Amino acid sequence: MTDPAPLPAVRLWDLPVRLVHWSFVVLLVALWASAENGAIGLHKTLGLIALALLVFRLLWGLVGSSTARFAGFIKGPASVRQYLRGLRDPHHAPVVGHNPLGGWSVIALLGLLGGQVALGLVTQDTDGVESGPLNHLVSYDTAELARELHELGFNLILAFVALHLAAIAYYRVIKRDNLIAPMITGRRSYAVPVTAPTIAPWWRAALCAALAAALAGWIALGAPRSAAELKASQEPPPADYM
Amino acid sequence: MKLAHTALIAALLVPAVAFAAGPNIYKARHDNFEAMGRAMKGTADQFKSGNPDIAVIRANAAVLAAAAPKVAGMFPKGTGVEGNPKSEALPAIWQKPADFAAANKRLVDATKAFQAATATGDMTAVQGAFGAVGGSCKNCHESFRKPRA
Ligand code: HEC
Ligand code: HEM
Repeated sequence: MTDPAPLPAVRLWDLPVRLVHWSFVVLLVALWASAENGAIGLHKTLGLIALALLVFRLLWGLVGSSTARFAGFIKGPASVRQYLRGLRDPHHAPVVGHNPLGGWSVIALLGLLGGQVALGLVTQDTDGVESGPLNHLVSYDTAELARELHELGFNLILAFVALHLAAIAYYRVIKRDNLIAPMITGRRSYAVPVTAPTIAPWWRAALCAALAAALAGWIALGAPRSAAELKASQEPPPADYM
Repeated sequence: MKLAHTALIAALLVPAVAFAAGPNIYKARHDNFEAMGRAMKGTADQFKSGNPDIAVIRANAAVLAAAAPKVAGMFPKGTGVEGNPKSEALPAIWQKPADFAAANKRLVDATKAFQAATATGDMTAVQGAFGAVGGSCKNCHESFRKPRA
């Protein structure tokens, strides 16, 4: 008996998904470090980049490659239960893309990051001086609440990242399934023939990136609704002495 | 009998003194700082609106000018974390009294200048003076308040 010839690797994760993913890893560290050192100006810039990436990822979840699309990996509780039962069977069919449970973990991570970004936009420093670009749209008390939740939110994200890493370790050690390499190279091979994911054209990613950058830019200016507000936002913000 | 008297007076007095410098001072301090924080945000909101209302800015400048001189007297010895674990007042306040006094003076001067600028109504000057007030808050917090992050 000879081993079957190795099947060709398929493109599992496209470049945009991988770029967004690893950017978040770097950003999370940088956001924490800048906040911890009181470099709020830098922290706000990085947070706006995170906002642009999140918006991009949401758009990409609608029009991106097949493994990036929400419609492709958000499954009901029955599918999740069935997948969990199948985990004990060493011969269960491979999932190309996020498995039914992993899909929810993506939603949870994106949701937590989105919540954290939203809180950051309206939050203010303890003195009510150094504030997010949308702070003027909420009251002092709301902004104080946002500040407390923004602090809590980071711990939630950390807890979830720990869970995320534990799941990856579980697949690596128990299931002998390396999820890290495909997240870097984008490619992976399967023991059985699978349908290759559909990769979306690059121009669609460029369009989504432009939209995301425009939205983040508008929010960075304080979401002006009129020419007068736009002009005010371009003058050096008075309380911004960073 | 005399001893009992002294003991009684002491028993009544010690908590009273501790109370005077205790929860009250932390609360008064918090309220004074919060009033300043609200006035800062109230002013910044005006500038961000694109159509700043000088009357609102004047009212906020008055709050700041009234609250600023109170800060220096709100840090009697023993009112750091030792009296309230939640306090963010750093020991440096009592270790470097001259520096702390200078930071207080900078705040008082900046709020006075800000109020004077609002009286003229020259928006560029108002904005500049407001930035200087913010700088004086930050200056003191950097050395004398425990970072929250
Ligand atoms: C001379 C030093 C000094 C200056 C100037 C100063 N602060 Fe503070 N501030 C402190 C200290 C110390 C604390 C921490 C007090 C505590 O927790 O007991 C504090 C705390 C605060 C708090 C939190 C209060 C609480 O209890 O939650 C706010 C808000 C605040 N400052 C606003 C301001 C604003 C706005 C300005 C400028 C207009 C300002 N501060 C200027 C020293 C200063
Ligand atoms: C530090 C913060 C991290 C955050 C916030 C984070 C977030 C995410 C998100 C949002 C996804 C979904 C990707 C998408 O489809 O867009 C994901 C998937 C993934 N991440 Fe992370 N991640 C982090 C760290 C890491 C690290 C350090 C590793 C590897 C050592 C890693 C490995 C993976 C892998 C392998 C997947 C795909 C899992 C699968 O689909 O089965 N992540 N992560």
